Amino acid sequence: MRLEKCYFCSSTVYPGHGTMFVRNDGKSFRFCRSKCHRNFKMKRNPRKVRWTKAFRKAAGKEMAIDSTFEFEKRRNVPVRYDRDLMSTTIKAMKRVQEIRARRERAFFKQRMSGNKERERDLDIKEIQKSIHLISTPTIKNKEVQKASESSRQMDLD
Amino acid sequence: MSRVRRKRMHCNNKELHQKYKSKRRTKDLDQIQEDLKPENKQRLLSLPEDEDLPGLGQHYCVECSRYYIDERALGEHNRGREHKRRVRDLKVPAYTQREAEAAVGLVTDNGRAHSTPAAGPLSLLSLKQKNDAAAAAKAASTDRVMDTE
Repeated sequence: MRLEKCYFCSSTVYPGHGTMFVRNDGKSFRFCRSKCHRNFKMKRNPRKVRWTKAFRKAAGKEMAIDSTFEFEKRRNVPVRYDRDLMSTTIKAMKRVQEIRARRERAFFKQRMSGNKERERDLDIKEIQKSIHLISTPTIKNKEVQKASESSRQMDLD
Repeated sequence: MSRVRRKRMHCNNKELHQKYKSKRRTKDLDQIQEDLKPENKQRLLSLPEDEDLPGLGQHYCVECSRYYIDERALGEHNRGREHKRRVRDLKVPAYTQREAEAAVGLVTDNGRAHSTPAAGPLSLLSLKQKNDAAAAAKAASTDRVMDTE
């Protein structure tokens, strides 16, 4: 059983799933679903389509450089079967997976850090900018007070 | 009773759908990059006359893989936005299946890219060392078993 990777989004194509397109020069392209095939037919560049793995890796949305990626590689060198080696390899695979998951979580946290403050600042700015849209005076006064308070706090910080 | 449909033309747009059919597929960027190599380009720019093609196939734009009816039309096209965009797109290497696989961490390491043996914890050398060590350990354990017997 061979598990291919989708040309467009890089997800796994399981047997019996997806479409294969063979171009008239003999080069074949596999797609995991019609969405990917349609986007290919529209000649979109996977590097520029935001939901593909290629984009996410290139744009720094996911961890790209890490020592855990050094393990899984096609090396094209035959290794003599050895029961001990196999069992240690399987153990190592699980361990590497664990480490990578932990590092990915840390990476995500790092990437998302500071988002809350940024969003709050944007919200405050929007309120200050478009306060004239609120007609009810009480709410207006409240909002103005809140905004000025928070901006004062920001200044203090 | 039936309502005349005026909106939602997008999904009813026959031309658009026919444009994206696989049988009408035009050349991809990687094919054009192949065409742009000097020997291929020379061949494409001096094609024999073909009466099925626009302008007998004599005015061809290699970058856009399109035939034009005369030099004037070709020149007009070369000055256009579409052609310039295509030239810009062709400057970067084309997307390949290998890149798609690399994005999910499937890469090939034949040992040529890294000349240093310490490429990774599971590089060839360490694999071999590990193998040897495992063999030695196995031999030792069998010795021990034999000793106990």
